Amino acid sequence: MNTLRAIIADDEELARRILREYLASEPDIEIVAECPNGFEAVKAVNDLKPDLLFLDVQMPKLDGFEVLELVDSAVAVVFVTAYDQYAMRAFDAAAVDYLLKPFTTERFRASLDRVRGRFSAAAAPPQLPRDLKLASRAPEEYLERLVVKDGPRVHVIPVGKLDYAEAQDDYVALRSEGKSWLKQQTISGLETALDPRRFLRVHRSFLVNMERIARLEPNTKDTWLAILRDGTKIPMSRAGYSRFRELAGGE
Amino acid sequence: MHPLLLYWRRSLLYFAAWIEIGVILGVIAAAAAGHLPYLEGIALGVPMMFLLAFVCLTPHFVCRSVPLRAGAWKRLIRQHLPATVVASAIVMLVGRVEAGALSSVWPGLDTLFAKATPVLTIFVALTYMLSTALHYALLEIESSRRAELLAREAQLKALKAQINPHFLFNSLNSISALTSIDPARAREMCIGLADFLRASLRLGERDTVPFGEELALTNMYLDVEQARFGKRLRLVRDIDPACETCEVPALLIQPLVENAVKHGIAMMAEGGEILISGHRDRDLLRFSVANPFDPEAPVQARNGIGLRNVRARLEARYGSAAKMQIDATERHYQVTLTFPARTS
Repeated sequence: MNTLRAIIADDEELARRILREYLASEPDIEIVAECPNGFEAVKAVNDLKPDLLFLDVQMPKLDGFEVLELVDSAVAVVFVTAYDQYAMRAFDAAAVDYLLKPFTTERFRASLDRVRGRFSAAAAPPQLPRDLKLASRAPEEYLERLVVKDGPRVHVIPVGKLDYAEAQDDYVALRSEGKSWLKQQTISGLETALDPRRFLRVHRSFLVNMERIARLEPNTKDTWLAILRDGTKIPMSRAGYSRFRELAGGE
Repeated sequence: MHPLLLYWRRSLLYFAAWIEIGVILGVIAAAAAGHLPYLEGIALGVPMMFLLAFVCLTPHFVCRSVPLRAGAWKRLIRQHLPATVVASAIVMLVGRVEAGALSSVWPGLDTLFAKATPVLTIFVALTYMLSTALHYALLEIESSRRAELLAREAQLKALKAQINPHFLFNSLNSISALTSIDPARAREMCIGLADFLRASLRLGERDTVPFGEELALTNMYLDVEQARFGKRLRLVRDIDPACETCEVPALLIQPLVENAVKHGIAMMAEGGEILISGHRDRDLLRFSVANPFDPEAPVQARNGIGLRNVRARLEARYGSAAKMQIDATERHYQVTLTFPARTS
């Protein structure tokens, strides 16, 4: 069997130590990096393209789910956390397993067996985590912040600072604090991840922060322009206008 | 002192409301006397009503000494009937003296007052009785509110006594890691965790505890967290020994320290310093916890009961004598509690 290359991402030194210890007796798994926070985890996964990622949820900088949004290599993910409430989200994000701290060596080996099963010839290759990350949100729980890659770095946009998003082919351009950030995501995907009471799809290509809309101006016969506080004009389709009226209380 | 008179605005409102009643009183006096002009009736009625306004506050003390109880009606009559008679007599007597004095300006006012006396006396007595009934109603409201506050405090304390399960699971995971790396430290951490659990159960059973014991509990907690976070958790303590004998609500400060670790240090890659200080400033105790935090840290699930709970408990116990202040800058968070320092 081929050697599997693994990364451990956990902010607690002792939590990393125990994984290292358990893995020491598994000759087919090699640890290529240990990361004490979310930023480093994203960088290590993208640089080293490991087969396997042991991932904590609560970490400084980025939480485990945000890390998954930002990695572009296919990697098998095993969540390792003290919190049981993220299990559904984790499996929705196509995690191979979900280990609850503290765990026994037997439980850990069972988890490794699942990982190896993923890599055996019969099974399909692991999916890109991003494919399923949209499903990883619990219903009625919306994103509080968006994470985007900015070259080798990661930029975090709290949703309150997002002015609007514009669809651009396979990407969305996120406009925040006078700058634009590109994120590989569809505008519909972004729409479902954000609170519909705060963000409105005013047009096929535009999603707008309701708080930023200063006024509306008529455009053509059936369409409008949403004028934002900073003067930006956003086209509003007929459907967008009726959604706006509905959300704004029909004044 | 009557509670209405403790605050300026309340007293003003109270007397303003009485001006209205004074006008009614004047009109009644004028009507009862037959041909007394309204202006004169009001000139007579308004000063009387100010006196009545004061007199109508006195049932406060009588009502407190004679609580409403089923079957106590004899006692109620025995206490309140003489009070009503005396109160009405005082108001009517002063009214009569006033009418006598005013009759130099409006001749004949004293005889007209004498004519209106029966009707006025009934009015004054009824008003006094109404005020008595209102005072009973207010007392009822007050006592049910106090009971509610006490129940609430008990409930809030019960909530606080719950130990955060994630803290336990993470600590147990650290112990699990230490068993092979450093068995002696693993044992130490086990004992530290047991000490903390035992102490927090013991403190949770009590109502108030000496501040020193409460502080010792947070130290046990921080010892365990220190093993988890290592160099990331740095502590500075500045505690005035004079605080340690003060009695404080049990488990009041523990959540502040837990928050500083959970939302501050645990979310910072390089960790940071928590400053815990306690000072006694004459009859006030001032306790604060300060920690740095990363404004860009991932949003954590907050259970939301932590700080609100502390504030509610302070309020339930000390009312306006205590205060919780939060000073948050971009990267720094500080919670300060100020409350009466009481020693048992």
